[in-house]
Parts: sequence; structure tokens; C-alpha cells
Amino acid sequence: MIKYLVYNEFQKVKSRKRTYISFILISILVPFIVGAIDSGGGTLEKKIYGQLSDSFFFIGSLINGYLATYIIIAVLITHMPFLSTIVAADIVSGEYSKGTFRIYLSRPISRSKVLLSKLIIVFGYTILLMFYFIFYSLSVSIAWLGTGELAVFHKGLLFLSENEALTRFLIAFLTSTVVMLTVSSLCFLISTVSKNSVTPIIITISTVFVGTAISIIPIEFFEKLNPYLFTGYINSYLSAFYDPIPWNEIKQLFFVCFAWAICFIGLSFAHFLNKDIVD
Amino acid sequence: MNKNNLIDIISVSKNFGDTKALDSVSFSIPENSVLGLLGPNGSGKSTLLRIISGLIKKWEGDILFKNKSTKTYPKYLLNKCGFLIENPTFYEHLTAQQNLTILSRLTNNSPSKISEILSDVDLDDAANIEVSNFSYGMKQRLGIGQAILHDPDILFLDEPSNGLDPLGIREMNKTISNLHSKGKTIIVSTHILQDVEELCSDIIILKDGQLILNTPIDKLMTESKIISIKAGNIKILENYIKTLKNCQLVSCEKSKITIQADFNIDSLIKKLPEEISITSITKDPNLSEYFK
Repeated sequence: MIKYLVYNEFQKVKSRKRTYISFILISILVPFIVGAIDSGGGTLEKKIYGQLSDSFFFIGSLINGYLATYIIIAVLITHMPFLSTIVAADIVSGEYSKGTFRIYLSRPISRSKVLLSKLIIVFGYTILLMFYFIFYSLSVSIAWLGTGELAVFHKGLLFLSENEALTRFLIAFLTSTVVMLTVSSLCFLISTVSKNSVTPIIITISTVFVGTAISIIPIEFFEKLNPYLFTGYINSYLSAFYDPIPWNEIKQLFFVCFAWAICFIGLSFAHFLNKDIVD
Repeated sequence: MNKNNLIDIISVSKNFGDTKALDSVSFSIPENSVLGLLGPNGSGKSTLLRIISGLIKKWEGDILFKNKSTKTYPKYLLNKCGFLIENPTFYEHLTAQQNLTILSRLTNNSPSKISEILSDVDLDDAANIEVSNFSYGMKQRLGIGQAILHDPDILFLDEPSNGLDPLGIREMNKTISNLHSKGKTIIVSTHILQDVEELCSDIIILKDGQLILNTPIDKLMTESKIISIKAGNIKILENYIKTLKNCQLVSCEKSKITIQADFNIDSLIKKLPEEISITSITKDPNLSEYFK
């Protein structure tokens, strides 16, 4: 039965135009940024070298597809929570507001399976979106600028070989996807509570903003609190490019995000299973 | 409990905060009946249907379907029931066919059944049109279609004629009669009293969340003192009625007079002067007094 329920949710989501907004935006923005990096490469290189150019003599160019992808992720990652909520925000609240649950839930099906099917679609969408974001960026950047060593700043200028760079992007994909799945879980929870699809987006994004502010403000209390907040890990994709890779930090990210996601999903189910559909 | 009853509603109560939506409502739904569930707005009709359909989770009392509690076996009842609750709602960005396909997956119906249903509700030509382009009457018919998609034994129709024009109401009543003739037990929630007289075998009236009447419509007709007379020369009839003892004029329209009388139709006919050309005389169940 769950297979049919998931397929139903897939059919509902796939036929909505808003589902494709995130993909269209990424498809347009990425070539635009890559083009900008290509045309302004000299300026960018000067900024990366900084004072190092006084002491060292550099041969060749640092600008390549890997660096462009790295920059694209850095520029757009903070906006990904907004894009990842587009489906999650509407998936339950949309059915309340349109009254379609009156028909759907009066069939002999379990509510937990209905909610699970919706959650599977939300997670599937988030994973697909993050995969598309990172690997589309990588494909466009490599096609436009070619490959080479990836130069990143971590305790100085760090060069990662071509083969190493791909592995690092894969790790960056995994860490950032885990964080986005947690953001989607929060949005999903609000969607089960709210009767319109705007509220979940507003609450989720506000939470991310506040959480990000906490991670930036250098106050002792916030610094102690930050490791336990999933919002503090939105930029953690960067750790995938450190040398050595801080596996303990990544493990902590997985643990914290997993704990929050379980909490959000558990509350969603507890609320939905006992909710009176009266709209 | 009578073994011919399909569903027994036992002391069902529901509160929304401090508001008592249903107050210990008990009645039974006989097999193969058309039960009219009546009451003014806010009387608890829709709440009761939502409880039966499983949309409302927290309530008191019990509902038995073939003597099995729906609290213990919720799917047992839902498998056998089709619901049209309030305005028909659909995934408007999908076609009629896609909407029914989505619902058919929940009850494992074959795709061929969908074409059959669309034909039954006269929407076969509109199968591939997005529901957002449907008129209200088409949506109402599709609502009936989704309710009968899994061939349920019992149909709960909440205000099926709501928002329809007179022709639409007539077609809806015809559809309901056809479904009943196919052996389905039908529960129609409505506030259109004419529908009740035309369709129902039994009626339940709710008011302020309480059951105030539960009776077969025939019995109500027999006991009623309200008589409607349609006649050609209505003025003469009106003057004559005013002269009768134990008879009170309720209303007088262009070609119809309604009276409240302590005598039956036969004795009234004998009393009427010959110059009055009577078209029809019928007893009226006088349901309107319950809506006051």
C-alpha cells in the first residue's frame, strides 16, 4: 500500500508548477555565476593570492571548474533552506486548506502511512535538489572552465588534487544534504500543524536565520549552544575541504541533525495521527 | 440492537472547546434505507459524518457497523462506505481521471472502473479536463463518482444538492434514487425539505447537537396534520377553509393552500364544495417546524 501512496504523492507533486521553481532557479543561476567567474577570473585570483603574491611566484591559473563549484556552493548554500521548503511547506497544509483530506482520509487507509508517503516525497525532493545543485554546478563549471587542482583556504592556501576534489564534493553533498533534510523535517512539522502553506516557509526560514545569527554572534552562551543546533551546520560543507577531513565534526553534524529530524518527524506524526479534520 | 441495522450510533458526543457539537446522539441506520439527516446549520450533521468517516479522531460514544465497533475495526466500516462531505474537493490541477486514479489506488480498484464511474456520473466527456475548469455541478457529480468508486454498500452524502440549480437538484435526486435501487443504503444530510420527502424512507433531525426526531417518513406523514391542496380556483377554496371548524389556514399561494386540520384527507375531500377543482391533496410531514 505504501508504494501506491508514495506514487500518489509523487503524482500530486510532479503536476504542480511550483515544484520546479528551485530547479529552474539553480539552472539559471549556476551558468550565470560560472560565466561571471570566467570573465572576472583575474580579479578573483588576486584576491585569493592576497599577500602571498608578495612572497611567491605563481604559474598557471587557479580558476577552474572545481573552484567555481566551491564558490557557487558558498554563495548559494545559505539560500538552499528556502528552496528545500517549497514542497514540504505545502504537502500537508495544502491538503488541509483545499479540503482534499476530506476525501483522501475517509478511505480505508492508515494516517501514518499517508504521512510517511508524504515524508518520503519531501526527503526525495530535498535529496534530488541538493544532488542537482552540487553536481549540476560541478558539471557546468567543469564544462565551462575545465578541471585542475582545487585551491581552498584552510589554515592557509590548501591545494587538493583533481581526484581528491571530486571525493570532497561528494562529502560536501552528503553533509549539506543531511542539514537540508533536517530543515525539510522542520518545515514538514509546521506543515502538519498549519492550515496554509506560507506559514511553514516563514517559520522555517526564520528559524534558520535566528540559528545562523546564533552561530555568528561571538557570545559565550551562543558558542556553547551552537553545536547542539542544526542551524549551526548549514556551512559545514566547508569541513569537507579541510585537510585532514574533521570526521569527528562531521559525525557530530550527523548526530545533531539526526536527533532534530527525529524530533520534528515524531512531533509531526503525533500531531497528524490525532488531528481532527474539520476544515 | 436490530439485526437489520447496518450502523448503530451509540451516545456519540463531541465537543469543540466549550461548544457541544454533538450531545449523546443515538440512532440506527436500517439496511437498504434512505435516511435523511436533517437539521439547521450548526446542528451537528457534518460533525457526525466526519466522526463516521474517521476525519474526527477524538469523540465519545461508539459506532457499530454490523455489530462491530468502529473504534476497534475502523477500516471495516470505511471499506464499505463512500463519503461526499460538504463541498466536493479535488486536486484541482489534475484531471477528473487522475483524481479518480489517485483514489482508486487506495482501494485497489481497476482502472477500467474509473471510466465506468465517469460514465455513470455523466462526466465521460470531461475525463481529461482539469478539475479547476469544472462547473460546480460537474464537481458535485465527480464527488458522487469518487464516493461510489470502490462500490460501497453505504453512501453518506452531505448536502449533495447544495449550490445546484433546480435542474441539477433533480438530476442529483435521480442519481441518488438510482443508487438506492441498486441496493445501496444512503444517508443524505440536507436542509432542503423537499429532497427529504422525495427521497427518504427515514429521517433523523438534529438540533443544537441533539437528536430531536427519529422516525420513518411514512409515520410522520400519517401523524401530520398539515395538508397541502392544489386547486384551480384558490380564492373560493381559501374562503371555504376559513369557514371550517378544527381547521387553520397555514399559508395561501397562487395555486396552493396549506392547512392544519384535525381531520384526515378523505373527510376533507367529502367536505369540499363541488365547484372547487382540486388538482392534488397531499399530507405534508411539516418538517419546517423542527427548524424553528
